[in-house]
Amino acid sequence: MKRLTPLLLALALAACGTQTAPQGEQAASLTWAIETQPITLNPHQWSQNKARLLVFNQFDALVSRGKDGSFQPWPARSWKVSDDGLTYTFELRDDVKFHDGTAFDAAAVKANLDQFRVPDYNPAVASIQLGALDEVEAVASHTLKVKLKEPDGLFLDFLASPYGGQVSPRSLKTAKDLKFGGPDLVGTGPFILERYVQGQEIRYRRNPAYAWAPPGAGHQGPAYLSEVVYRFLPEAAVRVGALTSGQVQVIEGVPATEVKLIKSDPGLALQTALNSGTSFSYYFNVTHPPFDDQRVREAFREAVDVDAVLKAVYQGTATRAWSVVGAASPFYDASLERSFGGDTAKANALLDAAGWTERDAQGYRVKDGKRLSVRSVSSAPFVRDRRDVLAQAIQAQVKQSAGIDFQVKIVDQGTAQQAVADGAYEIFENSRGDSDVGAALNLILPRDGAINRSGYVDPRVDGWLDRASATLDQAERKKLYARVQRVVVTDKAVVFPIYVPADQIASRAGVRGLGFDPGSGTPRSAYDVRIGT
Amino acid sequence: MIRRLLAGVAVMWAAATAAYLALLLAPGDTVDILVGDGPDTPEIRAGIIAEWGLDRPEVVQYLAYLGRLLRGDLGRSYQSQRGVGEILAGQVWPTAQLTLAAAATGVALAGVIALVTAGRGRWSRTAASAAELVSVSVPPFLVGIVLLSVFSFTLGWFPVSGAAGPEALVLPALALGLPIAGVLGQVLRDGLERALEQPFAVTARARGLTERALVARHALRHALLPVVTLAGWFTGTLLGGAVITEVLFGRPGLGQVAMQAVTGGDLPVVMAVVLLSAVVYVTISTLLDLAYRVIDPRVRA
Repeated sequence: MKRLTPLLLALALAACGTQTAPQGEQAASLTWAIETQPITLNPHQWSQNKARLLVFNQFDALVSRGKDGSFQPWPARSWKVSDDGLTYTFELRDDVKFHDGTAFDAAAVKANLDQFRVPDYNPAVASIQLGALDEVEAVASHTLKVKLKEPDGLFLDFLASPYGGQVSPRSLKTAKDLKFGGPDLVGTGPFILERYVQGQEIRYRRNPAYAWAPPGAGHQGPAYLSEVVYRFLPEAAVRVGALTSGQVQVIEGVPATEVKLIKSDPGLALQTALNSGTSFSYYFNVTHPPFDDQRVREAFREAVDVDAVLKAVYQGTATRAWSVVGAASPFYDASLERSFGGDTAKANALLDAAGWTERDAQGYRVKDGKRLSVRSVSSAPFVRDRRDVLAQAIQAQVKQSAGIDFQVKIVDQGTAQQAVADGAYEIFENSRGDSDVGAALNLILPRDGAINRSGYVDPRVDGWLDRASATLDQAERKKLYARVQRVVVTDKAVVFPIYVPADQIASRAGVRGLGFDPGSGTPRSAYDVRIGT
Repeated sequence: MIRRLLAGVAVMWAAATAAYLALLLAPGDTVDILVGDGPDTPEIRAGIIAEWGLDRPEVVQYLAYLGRLLRGDLGRSYQSQRGVGEILAGQVWPTAQLTLAAAATGVALAGVIALVTAGRGRWSRTAASAAELVSVSVPPFLVGIVLLSVFSFTLGWFPVSGAAGPEALVLPALALGLPIAGVLGQVLRDGLERALEQPFAVTARARGLTERALVARHALRHALLPVVTLAGWFTGTLLGGAVITEVLFGRPGLGQVAMQAVTGGDLPVVMAVVLLSAVVYVTISTLLDLAYRVIDPRVRA
């Protein structure tokens, strides 16, 4: 295999860069194998973090994010926020055009925001992310005023997300399948969607008129690639094989088992970035025994040697998490590091103190004739990153070190939802990839949070989250989120953070300009990508 | 013939109803599935219920569903919000290509192996049946991976993915066709050997017919009967195997659509795939019944 590589590389370069010669990289085509098929191509309907890398080929969000996470211009040249945080005034670029030739102006942005208010279009976004939206007004041809009902610290984050992707108002009216999108739902992005074949590929060609890249991009002007094809290869081993044999030039989603092979191959390059959002964590269901007792929650965390488990399952490629907030987020509280976990003696002492003193024939702890059993029920489509194997490793550890019976159930979506409805679970496992972790915390932690499955209710936490959402002051938000983290991780032990999800890109040597979106930590669009030496 | 047609319609109605009932009885209600992992508020739920008409009694929903089917309306996908008919239309041809190519590969391989080895020496027979046993018992996923790593990743003869051209069809068709070749080959050879021991074979040999002509003109017809019966079975195997093969090779097709729909709880798509499979099954078994008449004059009598 190794000896074949140079030959294959030569073949691959010959195959993909046939037009490489005089104009250099100006007219190259690239094939990128990805794991997950998009369930929609309409950015307003977007819901899969794994499909985020496609969105900004075809669409530009209203504003962009810089490497430091700050908000920067894109089609919106500049903006002002009134002192009460209720009115946003955007000045728009006047040289931006949609792929269908229509001009991008204030009326177009208004049409995009108003579209969310159409009943049944995207009720979730309308009621949560845009819940504070009051009125949108095109003051001048390229000046837009947005009024909010209450201050919303996440509003710019929303406009920088795929939901902020600007769609041509004409195609919003004429698209055949508005919610699904497709070549007839167009944006202003650096690539034009040419073809989508379900189960096979999605093909974009360069937008030659593109001249409005965000300041954080690697270059200005049209994209380097004349064409980029994303192939859907859900099987990891097949993606890696297609890359090593030069049939594709880039892949995303590299399993831990293949990392070594790719690193040892000089013809290949690997990049990794931690995702933003929340860590992959176990949330304890505090509404009924045994996790209504904080000592049992702490004991479960102490019973697991997380480092050893991660090493065994991910071969040392995973990053351990210490907080519900991922380490890539600006709101991560690093002072929580090394504050829990891996102390078997403490775990046993805590369980003894909590009254789980007897043992049954299989060695599990028993109290009042009941075994110390906890269940995690997860829906198969959402299990990824070998989290099933991870759960089995944790299961073995808590049994051996503390006599806890951890039952891992991976079921279909309906059964999982039934378990949630019946409260028939003690552990809820989740990670979220929101670019601003506040959006994720607002769903998971407050009393009425849409996915508050731990049942933990704390008015202080609700108050801090509300205040953090309402302010634009990042330092203030950091302080508030640090308090939240301290309470749920340390003081109350509601959360068991395990690892920080990451994305990987592997590519053939010679492919340049690949990278990660500073907002989300997921792979960037193909705008800066080129093939060259 | 009329009776067969009516029976076919009854089978399809039963399939539609069974699919409907199974999904009705499956845990989790439709609203939960439509909400998915997204935000969940009473307003969102109310919106979904109104949009999909889920507040009507189940019987009414069932009758409405049958009514839509009769008009050829397969409904709309929960996941992608596109018409189900439109989703399937784009995926039928790649699956048809794959399954036909796999069936042709399987039948051709089985025929060649059986004709070459039937009634010949013990060694060739043993070798052939060993190969058949392996191809039947190794899971198609593994066959696919092995074929890919040898012929695509290492030798680079065939591309891994897509339905780009005939060369992209070779490996998937082989992966899907091998198990069929294994079973059919065994059945066909046994049939041939049994036919060659029949008294008519002795008579034919006595007339001076060569062994080759005897097999081709007389024995094959006898051996084909059990094979045709098996063809009904392998329709099912092909449709089921297409799921794995399409996902593995990154090919478009019904299997891959079914996979996405099942994991995502996309009921209208799942039901449409079930129905389509029933239609294919009924059609093929009807055709097979006709084939019996052609092969075996006794049925006609």
